[in-house]
Order: sequence, then C-alpha cells, then structure tokens
Amino acid sequence: MKPHRVVVTGMGVVCPLGASVEGFAQGLFEGRSGVRRISLFDAATFPTRIAGEAPLPDDVPLGDRKVAFALEAARQAMRHASASGTAPRLGKDAAISMGVGLELFSMVDLVTSRRAGFVLPATLRERLSFLQTPSDTCIAMMAREHGCFGSPRVHVSACAAGTDAIGAAARLIARGSVRTALAGGTDSMINPLGVAGFCTLSATSTRNDEPQRASRPFDRTRDGFVMGEGAGVLVLERLDDALGRGASILAEVSGYGSSLDAYGISEPHPEGRGAWQAMVRALDDAGLGPGDVDAINAHGTSTRKNDPVETLAIKRLLGERAGRVPICATKSMIGHLISAAGAVEAIAAICCIERGWVHPTINLESPDPDCDLDYVPNRARPHVQRHVLSTSYGFGGHNAALVLSRWPT
Amino acid sequence: MITLTGAGCVLLGPSEPSCDPTPFLRVRKSRKFMGLQDDLAVVAAGRALRQAGLSDGLGPRVGLYLAVGYIPFRHEDITPVLEASLDPEGSFDLGRFGHSGFQRAHPLLTFRCLPNMPAFHVSVNFDVQGPYFVTYPGPGQFYTALQEARDALESGLIDLALVGAVAHQNNFLVAHHFSRVVPPVAPEALRDVAAMWVVETDASPRSPLARLESLDVSYAPADIAAPSQPFDSFQPDGELGPAGLALALAQATQTSGPSRHLHHTLRSRDGFCAKSHWSLS
Repeated sequence: MKPHRVVVTGMGVVCPLGASVEGFAQGLFEGRSGVRRISLFDAATFPTRIAGEAPLPDDVPLGDRKVAFALEAARQAMRHASASGTAPRLGKDAAISMGVGLELFSMVDLVTSRRAGFVLPATLRERLSFLQTPSDTCIAMMAREHGCFGSPRVHVSACAAGTDAIGAAARLIARGSVRTALAGGTDSMINPLGVAGFCTLSATSTRNDEPQRASRPFDRTRDGFVMGEGAGVLVLERLDDALGRGASILAEVSGYGSSLDAYGISEPHPEGRGAWQAMVRALDDAGLGPGDVDAINAHGTSTRKNDPVETLAIKRLLGERAGRVPICATKSMIGHLISAAGAVEAIAAICCIERGWVHPTINLESPDPDCDLDYVPNRARPHVQRHVLSTSYGFGGHNAALVLSRWPT
Repeated sequence: MITLTGAGCVLLGPSEPSCDPTPFLRVRKSRKFMGLQDDLAVVAAGRALRQAGLSDGLGPRVGLYLAVGYIPFRHEDITPVLEASLDPEGSFDLGRFGHSGFQRAHPLLTFRCLPNMPAFHVSVNFDVQGPYFVTYPGPGQFYTALQEARDALESGLIDLALVGAVAHQNNFLVAHHFSRVVPPVAPEALRDVAAMWVVETDASPRSPLARLESLDVSYAPADIAAPSQPFDSFQPDGELGPAGLALALAQATQTSGPSRHLHHTLRSRDGFCAKSHWSLS
C-alpha cells in the first residue's frame, strides 16, 4: 500500500498537432497527421525528408528548441493546474522529473571552432549555446521559473524517458519525498545530425512523397518511424493536497513499472519479455490485474521490429481479452518524439480517459498478420475507460509503462 | 539501511592506461557496438559483481541505477564526416553532408555515444532485467541515482541494485563543454572513469564493505548563465564527471584498517548540494 495516491492536475503540450492540450486533443480525435516535409533545414539530399515539426514558442532560450518546448509545456501545465483552487504546493516540496533529448552539435559551429584563431564567445550565455547546449539546462530553468527545489530527476532512457520521468515523479510523491512534481519529456532531433543519425541506422520512414501517410504503426506496409519533436509536461500532486486546494483532478497515476530487456541493442526481445514485464510491474504497482486494463496507448513506432513484438507482449499480458482491448498509437499522427514521446502520449491517454473516447491509429490500411489486435484503425470511437496502460519501449532495451486511471475511479 | 557488498572501478591513467571488457562479455557480438564509456561501465560492473561473489545471471529482481557523463564525441569519428561535407571554401555544405558526408560516419557511431548505451551493455552482459534509472550528466545526478536505488531496495521493489557512474571525457565534445563553464576545466584534467557498486539491504547474507549512514540531497539552481554559487571545481583525481563519489568509495573499500568512515560532500555547478556518510567495514 502506497502512503500517498498521486493525481494529475495540469497538462501542457507542444507537438506537431499544436501548442495546447485542446488543440492536440482535437487533432487526435479527428485523426489528423502533423507530419510534413522538413522545413527546419534543407533536407533535399537526405534519405528521409519528412518529420513532425512542432510550433516554436516565441522565446527560445539558448537557441535550443527542446529547452523552449519544455519551458512552454511547463507553463501551460502550471496554468492549467492553477486554474481552479489555490496554487499547487511548490518550493522544496516540488521536484522536476524530465526525459531530456540528446545534445546534438551544430556542424556549422564545429567548422567555426576548427578555424585558426577561434575563441569562444564572450558571455557565458553565448558560450552555452555555441556548438551545443547542455540539454539538462532546461531542468534548472524550469525549477527556477516555477520554484521547484526538490531533488530533480533527469532521465536519458531514450524513447522510454518521458514515461520514466512521469513514473519516477509519481514514486517520489507516493513515498512522501515531495508533494508536487512537474514531470514529462522534451526532445528535438530534427536537425542535420539527428536526421542523419537515424538515417544511418535505417530506422526512419522514407515515404517522403506521402508525409501524412508515412507513420503507419501496425500496418503491413510500414517502413520505419517518423521523427517528431516537442514536449509534454504534467503537474502531479498528492491526492490529499489536490483535494485540499480545490484543484480539478484530471486522472490518477496509479502505477509505474520498468524493465530492461537485456537482449538486443536495437531489436526488442523476440517474445516481448521486457515489454510484458514492465506492464506487469505497472499493474502490480497499481494493485490491478490484466483484467482491469480498458485500453492501451501503445509505443507503436511503425518499425518492422517493434510492432509485432509489442503485439506479442500485449497478447501475453491480456490473454483471451487481447483482441477486445482497444490499442491506440499516437505516433501515427505526431511521429516519434523520442524522449518526449511517453509524456505526450500519457497526455493523449488522459484526454481519451476524460472524454470517454479512444483516438485512432491512422494509416492502418493493410492488416499485418503479425499485428492482429484492435488498434482502433483510422477513426476515433466512444469507449469508457477506467484504467489505461501507456507504454514506451526504448532503444537499448528500456521498457516503461504507466497505469493512468479515471478520477474518480 | 543499505550496504555495499561489492565495488569496482576503472580510472584510466598511468596505472591503468586502457580497459578491456572482453572477459566480462556474455554476449560477444555486442563488442562491436561498444564505445569507451560502454567498456568502462562493463569493466567496473564486472569487477563489482566479482567482488560480491555474483555471476552474470542477475535476472528480474536486480535494478540498474546509472549516472552517465556528458555525451562523448571523438575528433577521429567526426573528421571524415566533416571533410566530406565542406565546400571548396571550407564552409559546411548541408547538401554535401546529406548526400555523402554523413555516410562517412562509422555505421555504429550512434551506438557508441548515446547516454543509455552503458546501461544497455551492463544489462545484456550481466542479464539485469529489473527496473532502472539512467540519468545525466553530473555528480548531483549520481546522488539521485543513489536515492532511487535506496528507495527501490527499501520498498522491496528489487533485491539488489547495481549503482554507478561512468564518464568518457577525453574527447572534443566534452572538452568543449568544460572549456566554457566557470571556471573552465583544462582538458588534461578530464578523466575517463567508471565506478559501480553492488548495493543491498542489511538483510543480505553477503559481507558488507560499507554501510550508508546518512544521505542528504538539496537543490538550488542558479541562473545558468550567471552562476553565483560556489561549487566544487577541483577534485584531486581530476574532473570525474558524475563518478566522484562512486570512485572514492570503491577505492576506499579496497584498503583496510580499523573503523573507518567516508564523508562525501558535493556542491555542483547545476545546483546540487549533497552529502553522504559511509562507515567502512
């Protein structure tokens, strides 16, 4: 029995479907794609020339998109949480927990730095944005802006980082280490080095002529993931604090589980062992069983390897119920937000719980015999949900799952 | 309360100029994917487990809690890419980079610098299937990894934790980072280092090497562009990234003597103040 229950009282999002939770939800339920041709740089000579670009906030500290996304999503979430009742409890009782994307460097700055007579820029702010920006700076900036001075958590578990960040924050609150947390993830890899890195691995879709049809999780014709960018941030609080201050409660974070595949560097365990283990642990943490799962927000990357293995893991978890539980892949509409994916997808799951609908997996047109569950193809539909699993499976075998529950249950 | 039952470390320098993870590799085919930070982490973990009398089949009740230093990138890895991406005037040409430059990178380069890769290599070679916390990039984050491991052990989530830190810092990207902070850190002070601990509760049947007596972590970040707080800018062994405490305690457990204690304090650039007190067996 956990000492404290943990609830969500605010959400903020910046993603390829917009820079507000309402806009994001509207796009999700309409089944709209946010994937376009890359406009952030001239990608004409790259094998992959499409991505899900997010709207950039006006203020871009240190010139780093992921820092700007994180700060904007956190502001939205705090405004949301403070819209009803008194303000959340902050100071040493509040912590930041964020999945943060990679520090990639600027090739142009690299050339500059190799020229004879090069000296670093004069001011610390300029120096911190030259060549690369330390990605963890957004943690300090969020903490200072919102007054969160509990011990923060930075997560670099690749594609699972956003889910891990929410789960770790919920644990900090549940065991009494802090009472409030700003938790989520942020990432932006739509730049020459980022796109090139994934092209080298042949991981991304090259369906360049049909950007909006390129991300197609669980479809037989899928050919890789589509990069996305953005941030998702949630305000988590102790249930008694939220009730005490008169906050609107959006959902409960009932459980969290993680596991290591200990198997392959870029391929999941062939039986989905780690994915299954993470989901089981999350349900155990919630005090629930597989029979309580009403829907799953899947990792659903649209890669050849992930989708059938994820399907196997879900079948192992749910048994004969597997074909009757709706499974949504948010990445079909926004692409893969890497370190931010789990956070934005948790927000998508909460939007589904709140509205009593499941959003679609778009571009699911040709059934894959190895992906034979109900993925809510192409059209949203009503579906009342009490408990939803939101899952993320990262490169290198990091697996994470959250149980998000309707409030009141 | 938690105890150390194994500790291992690697500090590259005159007494140990290189480290070879081969003796610890359960999955030999993973060798080609490993960069120096992966080598360091696997060797430190292998040494720690060996000291604890544990083998490689750790399984689902063992967790991994790892702090990783700034992303490494070596000149020799990026130079061929850059050379194929410059126009005749020596300026970066995006078209050339996208057409042929990036293909000059070693196809496995991405794997060798990602911060979650040391955790992967430790997990796959010692079969760690439990929960994890992989964090980044400084000594404050090592303290948060220690907090997470302690809480997981005390709550019964896991039976045993591998806790550690790794930093590959002798490369141009990490050197660039440390050249711009205040005060700057000279490249020759940057160390390539890893240290790992086997951590258990008092109930473990294994003999303790050290016991955690107290742990305190606080956080007060300054304006990142105008640091105003004092911080620990010099460590006797050089700049160790997140591995300072992990290395100090691992080294302390390798010496003997009467009742001994290790007190560690930290004030980091990014706003952590932390201290811990260990009694050594």
